[in-house]
Amino acid sequence: MSQGPFAFVAGLAGGLRTTARTMRRTAITQEYPDVLPDLPPRSRGVIALVEENCTSCMLCARECPDWCIYIDSHKETIPATTPGGRDRQRNVLDRFAIDFALCMYCGICIEACPFDALHWSPVFELAETDIRDLLHERDRLAKWAQTIPPPQPLDPAAPDPAELAASRKPARPARPAADGAAAAERPARPERPERPARAERPDRPPRAERPAGEERPERPARPPRVEPAERSMPLPRPQTDDHGAEAPRAAAPEAPAAPEAPAAPEAAAAPEAPATAGEDATTQVLPTVASDPVATDGPGAQA
Amino acid sequence: MSVLEAVIRSVAVVAAFLVLPLLVGQTEHKFMAHMQGRLGPMYAGGWHGWAQLIADAAKFVQKEDVIPAAADRGVFRIAPAVALIPYMAGLAFIPIGDGIVGADVPASAFAVLAALGVGILGHLMGGWASANKYSMIGAMRGAAQLVAYELPMVLAVASVALAAGTLSLSGIVEQWQPWWLLWQLPGAIVFFIAALAEINRTPFDMPIADSEIVFGAFTEYTGLRFAFFLLAEYAGIVVMALLFTVLYLGGWAGPLAASLGVVWTLLKAWIIAAIIVWMRVSWPRLREDQLHRLAWVWLIPIALFQLALTAVVVVMTR
Amino acid sequence: MTTRDIVFICFAVLAAGCALLAVTTKQVVHAALWLVATLGTIAGCYFVLGAELVGLVQLLIYVGAVIILVIFALMLTRAPIGKHDDLATPGWQRAIAAVVGASLTALIAAVVLPVVTDAAVDIPASTNKGVSAAIFGVWVWPFELLSVLLLSALIGAFIVSQVVRAAGRPTGGEGR
Repeated sequence: MSQGPFAFVAGLAGGLRTTARTMRRTAITQEYPDVLPDLPPRSRGVIALVEENCTSCMLCARECPDWCIYIDSHKETIPATTPGGRDRQRNVLDRFAIDFALCMYCGICIEACPFDALHWSPVFELAETDIRDLLHERDRLAKWAQTIPPPQPLDPAAPDPAELAASRKPARPARPAADGAAAAERPARPERPERPARAERPDRPPRAERPAGEERPERPARPPRVEPAERSMPLPRPQTDDHGAEAPRAAAPEAPAAPEAPAAPEAAAAPEAPATAGEDATTQVLPTVASDPVATDGPGAQA
Repeated sequence: MSVLEAVIRSVAVVAAFLVLPLLVGQTEHKFMAHMQGRLGPMYAGGWHGWAQLIADAAKFVQKEDVIPAAADRGVFRIAPAVALIPYMAGLAFIPIGDGIVGADVPASAFAVLAALGVGILGHLMGGWASANKYSMIGAMRGAAQLVAYELPMVLAVASVALAAGTLSLSGIVEQWQPWWLLWQLPGAIVFFIAALAEINRTPFDMPIADSEIVFGAFTEYTGLRFAFFLLAEYAGIVVMALLFTVLYLGGWAGPLAASLGVVWTLLKAWIIAAIIVWMRVSWPRLREDQLHRLAWVWLIPIALFQLALTAVVVVMTR
Repeated sequence: MTTRDIVFICFAVLAAGCALLAVTTKQVVHAALWLVATLGTIAGCYFVLGAELVGLVQLLIYVGAVIILVIFALMLTRAPIGKHDDLATPGWQRAIAAVVGASLTALIAAVVLPVVTDAAVDIPASTNKGVSAAIFGVWVWPFELLSVLLLSALIGAFIVSQVVRAAGRPTGGEGR
């Protein structure tokens, strides 16, 4: 009404025109039960199990936020194939079930599975008349595995997969120096267990042993980082939390080979630390601690 | 009129009353769906869901008839009938062909208007008896709307009756000339808008505005009683479309009117009903004060102007 | 006694019964609804008597508009559902109402009874043309006077509402 007493007529006619135009177009309704929908790639319908890949490692069951995965397994001994060889043990899956009444389709189990035993399947018709029938056992999950589509080709503009990118990276020139530094700091190590923040954690020693079996999935992602020197270290430093673990690796080479300095925030903080503490051992420790949120007050009390 | 003829006519009116609203409803289902890029009902009855509304009726019959504890039970119960029967009575007076009419009375135009005016009483009763504030607001909106729009509507009909020199709908159709389309155009527009408002159709659906007051006077209704209210709404569309056809579009006038008269009337009325549906899909709802402003500031003066124009032309030509 | 008489008596009895209920019920809205029924049955009486137009006007104006307004006004007062015992009118009002009603009945009886006693009364056919000729011919001055009365009432209502608004009291309505 602001542009004149009859401006609204144009608006009303516009509304009629819009609906009339839509009417001439084909409807976008998908007649679902008669015509199956054209699902987009990577559709997340149900979770399918490739039994052959499963090692009953329980990672999926443990990562599941609502504990809807049930796994039973037992150990079988495989007799040694060569005379005098050692018998081997193997996990045999007895039961693998997912309760889809509880599952919230977050996909964490699929992410967590180290051996690609779990996959998203585009099947979505899993309605049941009884909620108890939604607990699907391995046979059904395995049947869905046949519906897993082949992986989509990568987008041409996408960055290389992490594995490729890592393998193509030129070797770091500073690595020998880091080895030297690791060797040099060894004498200083015994100090560390005395620090209260560290000593308070009883779970440390077991964690240090666990990676040998369970953190393997992450290994292939960063093979160049695994240094023989670090592996041989008896101390728990590299096996802190994920983000905590990266900090020392970025910072550790820095202290001796400062001129290179690839602008990491920890790297900027590291050269200052020796100025105050004046000791090689602390320069190695401080960045580690500073990036560890639990122990932040530890060095504050120290300094 | 023999008893047999009376029975046949009554049955015919009831049949039309039950079938024509379903046709309008199905038209609405399909038009609305396609105007929104959908398909609408496709299953019931097999072919493009033609039996969807029959299936709906079967569903409504099965539903529990809930009456709120605080409701006035008697009034609550009879309200749907009070809303429904006036439309049936109105339908009985509208001719759809030469001599094809439920009850041919001399002042049928007036009779239809009188019957339609009573229909709102059902909304008022239902809204008050539900003991629900949304029902009450809806009923009051409906009553205010009816009082506001009845006047321009009666004036517009009076203009046509004056032009034809008769209050009989059949007589009006006989007198109708194609140039009346232009002569009675302002009156036709006023009548159409007022009719939309009387049957609570978008953009005048404030009495049942579901986004504001749940479902107005029908909020507390369930099952068959709710279905009766809905049937009354669609019967209202049928009655108004037929009345508009007969008053302003010449009813059964058209090529081969002698044999195809009924088809012409129904076709014209169906087009009007389709336009009503089209408006519902396209337009938003007016605000309550805009509704009354439109009625009192625009429609009544236009209707009075139309009446004066008609009177002048009638006096000049006769 | 013809069928017509029977139908007329039915309507008349219904009208009288509804009217009685309208004045005796203790529920405000029920009274209004019984009034609707009374007016509707009276319209039926008009139809039976052949006064089609009058009956239609009765439906359109009284049932369709006046009663709607009455119920509307009742709803604005939040008329409660259920019995309303303090609805009782005081005795003097009942007395006045009885007197007025009785005198009205006597007046009508005085007019109607001589007609009833007369054996053969010729009722003129009440056509639409006849009614309009009567309104705009014989009775045109009362008709016009009535419209002037209604107009003055309308103007009065308008002035009252404007005066209230000018006095600065907030009026609920949105200013445009």
